[in-house]
Amino acid sequence: MSKVVEISPTTRHEGHTKLVLKINDEGIVERGDWLSLTPVRGIEKLAVGKSMHQVPKIASRVCGICPIAHTLAATEAMEASVGCYVPEDAMLLRYILQCANRLHSHALHNILSLPDMYLPGTDTKINPFTPEEPVRSVALRIQKLREVGQTVGEIVGGEAIHPSNPRVGGMYKNITPRAREKIYDLAKEALPLARDHMEFMISVFKNFQNRDTVEVGGMEVPVPDTFGFHNQGYMATAPVYGSSSLDDDPTWFPERWTEVRPWDWYMGETEIDYDEPNYPIGGTTPAGNKAWPQMEACMGVPLYDGQPVEVGPRARMVQYRNFDLKGAMGLQIARQMEYMDCIYGMMEAADALNTSGKVLADEIPQGDGTLGWAANEAPRGSDVHLVKVKDGRVRWYSLLVPTTWNFPTCSRALEGAPWQLAEVIVRAYDPCVSCATHMLVVNEDKRIVAQKLIE
Amino acid sequence: MVLGNYKSVVAARSTDNEILKGAQDGGIVTQLFAYALEEGIIDGAIVAGPSDEPWKPEPVIATSKAELLAARGTRYTLSPNISLLKEATRSYGLDRIGIVGTPCQMQAVRKAQLYPIGMRDVPDKIALAVGIFCMENFPYQGLEAMVEDHCNVKLESVKKLDIGKGKFWAYTERGAVAQIPLKVTHKYEQPGCHVCLDYVSNLADVSTGSVGAPDGWSTVFVRTKNGENAWSKAIGAGCFETKPIEEVKPGLDLVKKLATDKITKNQKTLDERATFGVGKGLRNPYL
Repeated sequence: MSKVVEISPTTRHEGHTKLVLKINDEGIVERGDWLSLTPVRGIEKLAVGKSMHQVPKIASRVCGICPIAHTLAATEAMEASVGCYVPEDAMLLRYILQCANRLHSHALHNILSLPDMYLPGTDTKINPFTPEEPVRSVALRIQKLREVGQTVGEIVGGEAIHPSNPRVGGMYKNITPRAREKIYDLAKEALPLARDHMEFMISVFKNFQNRDTVEVGGMEVPVPDTFGFHNQGYMATAPVYGSSSLDDDPTWFPERWTEVRPWDWYMGETEIDYDEPNYPIGGTTPAGNKAWPQMEACMGVPLYDGQPVEVGPRARMVQYRNFDLKGAMGLQIARQMEYMDCIYGMMEAADALNTSGKVLADEIPQGDGTLGWAANEAPRGSDVHLVKVKDGRVRWYSLLVPTTWNFPTCSRALEGAPWQLAEVIVRAYDPCVSCATHMLVVNEDKRIVAQKLIE
Repeated sequence: MVLGNYKSVVAARSTDNEILKGAQDGGIVTQLFAYALEEGIIDGAIVAGPSDEPWKPEPVIATSKAELLAARGTRYTLSPNISLLKEATRSYGLDRIGIVGTPCQMQAVRKAQLYPIGMRDVPDKIALAVGIFCMENFPYQGLEAMVEDHCNVKLESVKKLDIGKGKFWAYTERGAVAQIPLKVTHKYEQPGCHVCLDYVSNLADVSTGSVGAPDGWSTVFVRTKNGENAWSKAIGAGCFETKPIEEVKPGLDLVKKLATDKITKNQKTLDERATFGVGKGLRNPYL
């Protein structure tokens, strides 16, 4: 007999979600629905009619962990729609910004993941806030890496959270030679730290996967060999930066994308008939409550070639580096492996940058309503913005955000795991739910349809 | 306390003739920043540099003595120096910022340090804030009217502008001197200056101005620990010639008198705002 258990809200990720899980008698998930409960803010709707310069600044406010992704994807989608090619030095500045943001975001995510993990070879769970060694040094190292990421982002982007420097047509400002030296010095300072940190984190995640059981709220829970496995595909547009419809060989294909409604994809109304008051902290939803995922989910379900896909660090590693580790810990390990790319990336781009080069295109066309798109490889995966700009104003706008892609994929990856570890799988995706929650839904014929909720 | 808190006050001038040549008074700001740059006390200074229009300043971040020299001399019109405060920590990559400004601009710096609203990373990067004395300021159109209409001098030909001894003075490159009584300039004053209660940049690390010292010299207040550190090092390095303020004419009494006049007059304007309308008043930012 299967039962339904609900974890609401989930914790240690960005935004507001819950897990509705059908489990068997052993507590193994048979079907899992992971859904956003973050209120729809409707960025895509309110963008219509606004100027192409303002919309990327609004889109940035979708998320404060990865505002770089939304600023750059939105700006470059505008540029793709109007057909504006930005100068090389502006692209180099954007590239440094991208690397800096990924560095800080991955380091931040370590803080969220570590409390699930054990110090390798011990039965001690890691509390990142403890003053005791060796965890204290790890926490300080994470802080330093984030500080470097945010400071470099601030120098090239104008601001670490909601960068002010990018604009349609390039950047407002180039940086001074002194600022470039500062970036280089900071990157060099972070380099050995990042290497040590990557190795430490990988050992921690491997250790988790190799354990027979882990403890959750006093329960000993087995770790299956196939923890977090799924058979969905991967989607990535670049190892570091992204792609846009201005590229000679774009690496994302709008015609392969469709989107369905949560109504078509999620579970119907169901009653919760299992609860666990010891689940940390505060227990699961009490039995007797109702859940209705297809009504409650606040996002669309995007498909690529008709299937949910995984995006993010592992998707990039699979596509561009022949990475082959599956499961939740495979995804975590892929994320750690990106540390070095971030640091070398900012150093190489800083080297190539001409600090007296121009950073704004001579001519910025106003657009004729052509569809343009830009994909930015955000810390959590491909962030695709699609837009039609006419006479300098946004006429149509849509965001396909990494966590939106990952929602259905991750839901499938929950199958076969003990329900107590469902959140560990969710966290492996580094979800960013305020990013994921958006408004427009496109049906199989590419026509925009309203959500069932609104109909 | 019309002169604010200070540790010491002297009359001083730079010992560098190159600086003095184009300086308004004793070349204090230019010399102090030049020394601080050289010593690494600051790695850049926000100053009022030249712009495309004559006698219209534009804030710039000076990282060399040449750029500091280009910013010498008083421009009696607005230079929004604080507009570069955050940018200095961003694309300019500065860690230790020097900034010069009028009393209101020093207030802005201190407010940004204590209440950084949208001013991330600014509070701990202010290394040396140098304030100048300021009685009032003029919009650029006001300055144009005063120089071109009242003084009957082309702005392009002006070498130096000065307010002193109750008059507004314009000196031309070719040696002519024009002057008008200050009372004709009053209507051109920026209205916002009429609620200002600070004459000698009370909140600066070091503040300086012409009043109190003889021509070619400046009155200098050293106010903070930070300011004292930079000032005493500069004195030690022989950057400045100083005289005790008691030994110069007209001395501190005049400074105190003008400061009191400014504060009294503007406090009255502020008080009147409370009952500006019938049964209602205008906002008072000090409340």
